[in-house]
Amino acid sequence: MFLKKIRFFKDFKRFFNYIVFAVKAELKSEVADSFLSWLWWFLDPLLYMLVYSFIAVVVFSSNIPYFPAFVFLGLNTWGLFNKTIKASVKLVSAKKMIVTKVYVPKFMFVFEKLGVYGFKMVIANLLVVGTMAIYRVPITWRVVWIIPITLVLVVVTFGVSTIIMHFGVFVEDLLNVITVVLQLGFYLSGIFYSIDEIGVKNHGQIYIPGRVPEPWGEWLVKLNPMALLITDLRRVLLYGENPHWVMMIAWFVVGVFMSFVGIKIIYKFENSYVKVI
Amino acid sequence: MSDISENAITVSDVKIRYRVFKKISLLKTILAPYKYKKTELFEAVKGVSFEVPKGQILGIVGKNGSGKSTLLKAIAGIFSPDEGEIDLHGHSVSLLSIGVGFQAKLSGRENIYLSGLLLGFSRQQIDEKLDEIIEFSELGDFIDRPVKTYSSGMYSKLAFSITAILETEIMLIDEVLSVGDAKFKKKSYEKMKSLITNTDRTVVIVSHSSDTLKQLCNTILWLHEGEVKMQGSCEEVLPKYEEFMS
Repeated sequence: MFLKKIRFFKDFKRFFNYIVFAVKAELKSEVADSFLSWLWWFLDPLLYMLVYSFIAVVVFSSNIPYFPAFVFLGLNTWGLFNKTIKASVKLVSAKKMIVTKVYVPKFMFVFEKLGVYGFKMVIANLLVVGTMAIYRVPITWRVVWIIPITLVLVVVTFGVSTIIMHFGVFVEDLLNVITVVLQLGFYLSGIFYSIDEIGVKNHGQIYIPGRVPEPWGEWLVKLNPMALLITDLRRVLLYGENPHWVMMIAWFVVGVFMSFVGIKIIYKFENSYVKVI
Repeated sequence: MSDISENAITVSDVKIRYRVFKKISLLKTILAPYKYKKTELFEAVKGVSFEVPKGQILGIVGKNGSGKSTLLKAIAGIFSPDEGEIDLHGHSVSLLSIGVGFQAKLSGRENIYLSGLLLGFSRQQIDEKLDEIIEFSELGDFIDRPVKTYSSGMYSKLAFSITAILETEIMLIDEVLSVGDAKFKKKSYEKMKSLITNTDRTVVIVSHSSDTLKQLCNTILWLHEGEVKMQGSCEEVLPKYEEFMS
């Protein structure tokens, strides 16, 4: 088991330059592909934010403070997770040209996708910074917690994606299933509503109760990693609260475990992928 | 001359199987599970063993479907054998002429880097060889255009140039000994010949052309329906193979 781990790090080191180059090249080709196409990296979340603002504010009369920043954070974070997983389902066949001609540890493709979508997420998050500036959101030292939270996001996304990628090779209608599951996940992650309460009750400050009745709300935040990550990013960035530490650590451990399992099955089966695609 | 005993490739009792059915579907598995119970296996390579000493050139012959290309791909590491072992003793390896696989949206230049990095070369090593690759490929200004705009001839010229100029210690050559137009064909054949005859390089060639093999190879491996039918020098094996095929 220890040897496998070493192999992972060796492979990672060997193909790291390839990943960096491939990510840059893919982003560059997207920019070069059509004039101002990078503008969509901003326009996409911006337009969706308007859609959800309409639904939340007009239809459900929501009164969440700094709502645009609240939605951007949800959309951008979900975007990374959603896009990476969707891309992973057919990733091996999408890379057929490479897979059939040279050996690459297949989880490297997941890193590539994470790099591309991660970069787009960072760019899109400039919208969060912008909205926070417009609303003059008070910044606390707790913003530093976005670093460990982002790490958990990356680890969980990588773990899920590697496992999905493996099964995507053999199961031809997996994409249909995954699309539905992700759609459900989108609504259960509180992108445009707050699962958890915001602020502390009877404390004289802002207090907005969660939209999901207890104990369901609490369970949702605990069991759905995306709900947890999005909630906690908002807590540290917008509302000056601490993240749910215990659950964050727990999901980090689960994420590492999933990555470990994913890498292990890919190493075991990747050489038969070519025979199937 | 202790080098003679040093092997670059050791293939021992390798078996490679393909599953006949391709993919499964969750929906079909639920609705019609009995349809997927049969898993037929097709064995393309049935226990092949051989060794290639460092610097030697091995030719593999056999009729279509005898497992030549499958074996070559297994040596290249594209997939691993189901049984047995392939040991390259730490040498770098590439499948020549078919290229590493290009990303259609990216330019030829970027694809040179991607291919090189995939083959395990560093940025620096590729930088050094970049001009030579572009020159050899005869692509000119097209090198900065997306690969999807290339004709198939240009595509294979670039593919050949990359693998031919970024030299690996073991080269595997599958059939296509010449690509592109007549002029490039001659040039690539000469290049390939110089690569092959370099005494440091170990080469495995799969071909149907006895003439080519006679010119280039030290030893010949004859595969028939996934098994070794004969192995030996060109003079021993090739006449019998030709007789068998006629």
